[in-house]
Amino acid sequence: MLNIKNILPAYFDESVKDRSEWWGKDFVIGKGDYVKIVAPSGSGKSSLVHFIYGLRNEYSGHIFYNEKDIRHFSAEDFAFYRRRHISIVFQDMKLLPELTVKKNLEIKLQLEPYYSSDKITEMAERLGIKNKLGSVTKICSYGEQQRASIIRALLQPYDLLILDEPFSHLDEKNAQLAMDLILEESRKREAAILFADLERIDYFPCTKLYHL
Amino acid sequence: MTVATQFKNIKTLIQTGSGRYSRLFSFAGLGIGVLLLLSSVQMFINIQKLLRQGPAKKSGYDFISITKTITNETMGQVEKNLFSAEEIKLIRAHPLIEDVSPLIASQFRMQLSAGEVIPFRTDLFLETLDDDFIDTVPPSFRWQPGQNHIPIILSSDFLEIYNIFAPAQGLPQISQESAGSVGIFITCYGNGLEETFTGNVVAFSDRINSVIVPKTFLLWANTTFGGVQPETAPRLFIKTKDANNPELLRFFDKNNYRVNKDRTKFGRVRQTLQGVFSGLAFFGIMVVLLAMMLFSFYLQLVIARSKENLQMLLILGYSPRWLAQRVAKRFVPVYIIVILLALVSTAIMQWAFHRFAMYNRPELSSWPHWIVAAAAAILIIFSVIINYRLIHRMVNKLF
Repeated sequence: MLNIKNILPAYFDESVKDRSEWWGKDFVIGKGDYVKIVAPSGSGKSSLVHFIYGLRNEYSGHIFYNEKDIRHFSAEDFAFYRRRHISIVFQDMKLLPELTVKKNLEIKLQLEPYYSSDKITEMAERLGIKNKLGSVTKICSYGEQQRASIIRALLQPYDLLILDEPFSHLDEKNAQLAMDLILEESRKREAAILFADLERIDYFPCTKLYHL
Repeated sequence: MTVATQFKNIKTLIQTGSGRYSRLFSFAGLGIGVLLLLSSVQMFINIQKLLRQGPAKKSGYDFISITKTITNETMGQVEKNLFSAEEIKLIRAHPLIEDVSPLIASQFRMQLSAGEVIPFRTDLFLETLDDDFIDTVPPSFRWQPGQNHIPIILSSDFLEIYNIFAPAQGLPQISQESAGSVGIFITCYGNGLEETFTGNVVAFSDRINSVIVPKTFLLWANTTFGGVQPETAPRLFIKTKDANNPELLRFFDKNNYRVNKDRTKFGRVRQTLQGVFSGLAFFGIMVVLLAMMLFSFYLQLVIARSKENLQMLLILGYSPRWLAQRVAKRFVPVYIIVILLALVSTAIMQWAFHRFAMYNRPELSSWPHWIVAAAAAILIIFSVIINYRLIHRMVNKLF
């Protein structure tokens, strides 16, 4: 599915490859793989996530999705890739602040009606933000926004789910609830997970662990 | 879930409210430009229709005669005032000219007398040209060597002038019918010879201002009495599909050829009016382009204001093409309405022009010509495509 070959951010020194378990190496992420990447701030976690998601391309090396180099994807190819194959929880949430939480979630369903809108209520209830669905996003707490962002990522079909410090604003209990939901949804799709975080989390059953 | 309902939910993310005035101005500009363009096209067509009704045509052709303009410089230089064989060839080669026939003039002296009936004797000139160019050719308009009788076709203007002045000269007025029965005598002199032929007018011509005899006679007589067969001609008759074609008139002007009488005056008027309306149409196109530019600034403003929202939608997986289509679609009805309004205004103007300025002349219609409607349709398609391409480019830049 995802084949990563010898990638390194353009703004990193070549010598980083010698110290890192990830940069400059080759990896394959296949169906059902749970990959954990642990790295301190500033070591390029978000860069890696953005490269794979296609938001940036200042890197050397190659990222292949189903044997196609994503560097050669057109804007339309990326749109389809994001709509059907890859989903993401951003570190900075990337919600539309003027809309309600529910509207933010519906935007994903409108793009690809993978679930009915009842699923929004169901997931919001499980993560404890059901009562926030009608609230304008910008007045919600970071924790609530983070949970909304997690739900949004789970409302679409995907083969790979990318999590970029998804629980940074959540307490342990809520993080665990979210993780359960993420695992449950990913199992349904037989999808892989790429989880980038500052530290190791015990309740993520990773099959591969790397330090950037 | 349909595409339309999908967009309805993200519609609020595209902020079109801003720049209301620049939007209004650009649409007003577009309307005015389109109106100018469409009404110019309509007037252009009106002129074509009104002025196509020129002189009577024989089998769908116009016949005009041209001479060289005699100026102070060319006065006295006969060869400069005649059409040479080379020039005739060039004129014949012009794409708008179907055929050319030089008017061959008599190269000898001759006298005409009307015998006993009308006591009248005058020096005369004769001309001839191909039968195809003559509007009235009766079967009797034939001559063979040895034949003593010459059939003549006379300009009807000549008879008219004669009838005006005849009473003052104590001469009888004659009708066209009786003129045909008057026997005349034509005496040719030259080369030491003198021969008298009988003749009569077999027809009158509205087209040719001359005294026309069969070509066979004049060719024979020029050799016999004149001793020469001229290769040059003072006057040419031209057969063309449209004597008022501005391009043809330009060709004549350029070569200093003078076209007879007012056969082409419609063409001159048409030339001027077409120039005026071409200018207006050009101006209309400029206004349309200006309005499109103004509108593109407004679009840039809309996209810039909605930049973050659009970027977010693209990140979430919305297709740039789809988004551009949805944004562009919001403006399509406005384009259609503005252009249709301009078309309706053109239709009203055409109706009023036909009814009040042209008093319902049958050549014109109260309805706009189909070309005007087609132009409006093309403009709608053009503006929709330009609009979409602009937005698509702007959205793609956000990706």
